[in-house]
Amino acid sequence: MSETMSGKMNRRSFLKVMGWSTAGATLAGCDLPSTVTLEEGKEDVVSYLMPEEYVIPGVGVWYASTCTQCAAACGIHGRVREGRVLKLEGNPDASLNHGKLCMMGQAGVQGHYNPDRITSPLMRSGGNLTPVSWDKALALLEEKLGAVNGERFAWFTGTISGHQAALVDNHLEAMGSSTHYVHEVVNNAVSRAVYQDMLGESNPRLRLDKAKMIVSFGADFMGASVSPVHYAGQYAKFRTNKERGLLVQVEPKMSLTGGSADLWLAIKPGTEAVLALGMANLLLNKIKVSDAGIPADVRSLIDSHDITKVARITGVAGHRIQRVTQLLTERSPSLVLPGANAEGQAQGYDTVAAIMMLNHILGNVGKTIESSGEFPFPQLMARQGGTADLLAFAEAAKSQKLDAVIFHGSNPLFTAPASLGLSEAMASIGFKVAIAQFPDETSMAADLVLPVNSYLEDWGTQVPANQGEDAAIHVQQPLMEKLHADTRGFGDILLTLLKQRKNDEYAQFEDYYAYLRNAFAAMPAGVKNNAKNNNEFWNTALQTGVIKVASGARQLSSKVVSFAAPAEGGAGLTLIPSPRLGLFDGRHANLPWLQEAPDQISKVVWDSWAEMHPATAAKLGINDRDLIKVSSAQGNITLRVTLLKGMNADAIAVPLGNGHTDYGRYAKDLGVNPLQILDAIKEKKTGELAMYGTQVTVKKVGPADDVSLVRMGASDTQAGRKLVATIPVEQLRRTEGS
Amino acid sequence: MAVNNRLINPGAGFARAGFAGMLCLALLLMSSVAMAAKYDVAPPSGAYKGEDVPQPIEFPHNKHVKENGINCMYCHTYARRSKVAGIPPTSKCMGCHKVIATDKPRIQKLTKYWEDKTPPVWKKVHDVPDFVHFTHQKHLKKLVFDRDFPVENVKEVCAFCHGELENMTVAKKVKPLNMGFCVRCHIKNKELGAPGDCWKCHK
Amino acid sequence: MSLDNILNHWSDYRKGAEEGGHHDYEHRWAMAINLDLCIGCNACSTACYAENNLAVVGKQKFEKGQAMHWMRIERYWDQQELEHPEQGASFLPMMCQQCGAATCEPVCPVAATYHTPDGLNAQVYNRCIGSRYCSNNCPFRVRYFNFYSYYESSWPQPLEQQLNPDLSVRDKGVMEKCTFCVQRIRTVKDKAYMEDRKVEDGEVTPACAQACPTSAIVFGDTMDENSRVAKLWKKHQVERGVYQKTRHAKKNADLRGYRIFEELNVDPSVMYLERVREDV
Repeated sequence: MSETMSGKMNRRSFLKVMGWSTAGATLAGCDLPSTVTLEEGKEDVVSYLMPEEYVIPGVGVWYASTCTQCAAACGIHGRVREGRVLKLEGNPDASLNHGKLCMMGQAGVQGHYNPDRITSPLMRSGGNLTPVSWDKALALLEEKLGAVNGERFAWFTGTISGHQAALVDNHLEAMGSSTHYVHEVVNNAVSRAVYQDMLGESNPRLRLDKAKMIVSFGADFMGASVSPVHYAGQYAKFRTNKERGLLVQVEPKMSLTGGSADLWLAIKPGTEAVLALGMANLLLNKIKVSDAGIPADVRSLIDSHDITKVARITGVAGHRIQRVTQLLTERSPSLVLPGANAEGQAQGYDTVAAIMMLNHILGNVGKTIESSGEFPFPQLMARQGGTADLLAFAEAAKSQKLDAVIFHGSNPLFTAPASLGLSEAMASIGFKVAIAQFPDETSMAADLVLPVNSYLEDWGTQVPANQGEDAAIHVQQPLMEKLHADTRGFGDILLTLLKQRKNDEYAQFEDYYAYLRNAFAAMPAGVKNNAKNNNEFWNTALQTGVIKVASGARQLSSKVVSFAAPAEGGAGLTLIPSPRLGLFDGRHANLPWLQEAPDQISKVVWDSWAEMHPATAAKLGINDRDLIKVSSAQGNITLRVTLLKGMNADAIAVPLGNGHTDYGRYAKDLGVNPLQILDAIKEKKTGELAMYGTQVTVKKVGPADDVSLVRMGASDTQAGRKLVATIPVEQLRRTEGS
Repeated sequence: MAVNNRLINPGAGFARAGFAGMLCLALLLMSSVAMAAKYDVAPPSGAYKGEDVPQPIEFPHNKHVKENGINCMYCHTYARRSKVAGIPPTSKCMGCHKVIATDKPRIQKLTKYWEDKTPPVWKKVHDVPDFVHFTHQKHLKKLVFDRDFPVENVKEVCAFCHGELENMTVAKKVKPLNMGFCVRCHIKNKELGAPGDCWKCHK
Repeated sequence: MSLDNILNHWSDYRKGAEEGGHHDYEHRWAMAINLDLCIGCNACSTACYAENNLAVVGKQKFEKGQAMHWMRIERYWDQQELEHPEQGASFLPMMCQQCGAATCEPVCPVAATYHTPDGLNAQVYNRCIGSRYCSNNCPFRVRYFNFYSYYESSWPQPLEQQLNPDLSVRDKGVMEKCTFCVQRIRTVKDKAYMEDRKVEDGEVTPACAQACPTSAIVFGDTMDENSRVAKLWKKHQVERGVYQKTRHAKKNADLRGYRIFEELNVDPSVMYLERVREDV
């Protein structure tokens, strides 16, 4: 063979192969006598000193842990080879996500290995952040926090749960403060308030899988929501039940979930409550469903919303409303879901209350809405956030009520509307500490930055706010040794903070690992599930990643809460700052896989863009890909437009995620941030930010060009080809199911 | 796998030295039962003149294999369990050298590595390009275990690709380990099921 | 295909599927994708990036069509005449269909792409000389060419530590595409071989199928009659082979299984199940 090949098929060295501290290898023709494949003695072989028995070079080992890419806290498995974590999968033992993982979870490794991580403590001196030692950083922390008046100290975090949350509470107590701001842009805070008042608990179990029909008022439950993988799994059951579930999505901008709807209805933004009242009107007055439990004031509101009026206000055709309402009575049990568009209004609470009232009328409470039970460890439950705390924080900062704040897992300087003046207000806070992994807007404005381990290097426990079939505590363990010598675990930093205040109580814990082991040992016997001893319980917990706990039984109430007459939407264009599964609220803008993943609906990559209905655009003389200026009373953003029929004509959507002024090489100076131009309208009952209540004007400022806005795919249509074949459900019924 | 990922844990190493000693004994016992090989294998052909590769410790293969009759797989224990044969962990060396030849300079150097908790960084001698999927364990199964080839003589099989290490101190490459070398052997042993599919090896 | 085969049995390897193909197959890996469950969420695509060392190319190169997404989700709008897409969007996970009669294979001048005994359409990076004939000849547009060397730009340190050592990082001038996660197949087959047994159904799961939050993707060996995927193919009366010679029309036209571009007779290994929509 060498004779045949010699001189004829000399192949180039095409492959630069990956190497773990190796140079690229070269390959010549397969057997040429004068060449060799690899030179010996050039690469290093690293052997172990004393490996664990199950560590075999060349063989991947899977460890269980917990995802913290969003607040859902899915169970994960990480594949570890030669000491590196390579790939994340869902943990099949976690009933929350059943072995599945979304794109954000998949990209977790890119946060961990991110080239722009903060690798040493940073201290502000002379206006700049400069690297310092931990000793110096901790000394400053001790000095500043020791001197601060407890009432003028606060924590500012994203959703936080488990033992870390308990330690934050303990630290607040030790500081003599009770101020913990919890902020999430993607939240269901308004709905939680309604659930609490109506059902008696704020995180009921929504059983999509038991529903025969879902009407979603903009709930993007499979997209950027509170637990996308969990609800996507339930959706799969909903669709594959013997009677295939029917999904109707009503929203002003097509969401990921809306893309899968059987019927998608473009509603005028801000008129969701009107539609809900119209449907209630049909149910009570036409279909004659019992009005038991409906207060008189609500009843008269319902009666004043006849179908003609509702159709006119909402822009949804009357016959559609009638048909959907009719089907809701036929396809019982059903489920009516409130979403971010319904929540994010000045009357968000009222809107959600009107929507949830439909569940009461349809008798869904107890059937598709179940109690999640009494979680036995209230101190570990998730501190769920919203935007009310962001507004409260901005007010406190503005009125100079804060002297020291510790930030973790949240980036308020990116997510706060410019009209809050947070950036200036925060300057009045004398000592700002960021426990941060990345140089984002908030950490770069801090006075002291403590570099934290990635979640793949850290210990912890996470308690999902929206639990799966079983209530569980999810365990987070390091999947590998930390990448950077000078980062520390979040729990370890918390312990250090506590030792600075209450050394006698916390000195016994050498580190957070020791603290957790102790805490696990102290758990009640019922949770330990027949483990012979604490060691076995600990080992099992780490192996499975899940500690199942039995929730106490609880009964839901179904009480229709009173609400005021609804608004009828804005007169002009309403801005929809829509979160995306992917970049989410902007926290994942530094992960290149997620930047390069096309937006699910518009298919745009690496950018910010505006979505408008072609009819709206035509009226304004705007063409696809034009450069436009979107102006609110608070400011403006300039970006390119992509025309989309999945829009209500009175709405313009600008997806969230980009527009960072900091945050590493992949995110910095890319796109615009629509949150910046929001009016700081407060939801009337909960104090949340009405994110979907800002009116804007749009003006064309530049012509279309083909290269500035990049979308995947050349064709928007199937052009008659049988690519995605669609069949009516009747055809399915002839072969499968009922 | 309850692990806190502290992979390096010398304390546990001392505890396990006794176990390693027992394994040593077991392998010696196994080697006293001689068996006949079930089928013949045509060894690969081809020679290569490798260069001397200086290593942090001049490890004498000859002393271990020839003089003391230690089985290759006693140290390169991953060979039958993984793609790679693996360089033995320092703890394995120390299993014996905590007591044996402690006065020798090379052993003292080894002991220093152990005490410093930093394994020596060896230089790779036998390697295939990273786009090649080569697995030791399947080759051993086919050429040794399935064939009832006497395990005590496994060095003869190892020598197919690695040469007679019992006559070397530190390893030296004496076979080309290039594609032609692999493919020729696979063609010769086609009847035994040696695969000829590109994607069996190219990854 | 060894070199021995290339040199001595070239014509055998060029024999088309209509002549019965050229292999005694050991496996025929295949998929069934339920489009009624695909929600277009991108989990599969991102999982593929993570598993298969796919390069991130950035905005400018993406615009030129140089993105390396082995698995991509196409989104189509139907009912163009309506004011709004009332039936939502149509999502299509698209990756190499591992055709039994692949159009990419016979045009490769150096046999870098060929059919394996596993029924996979292999791409041997070392053999590839970058003629790009294969990608021109692929009706599914699922072959991706490395116009650049992405090693430095796509994996700045320490991102390169995430790279999967079970497969190569492809360099400039090489064509690449979905492999059905052949490295996972290889690992499982090696394991089964070591344990003297056959590969069991469900043992191999490609990254996309493993991630999919709605479990829309079923993967397996259609030669194993008891595998989930074989049962699905059978249930939906989709058969391997080329239409005119070996395939029969479905007895029950209501069944949802179909292969994309069936009429091209390329014998894809991916069966899609039609998306269902209920008229309201």
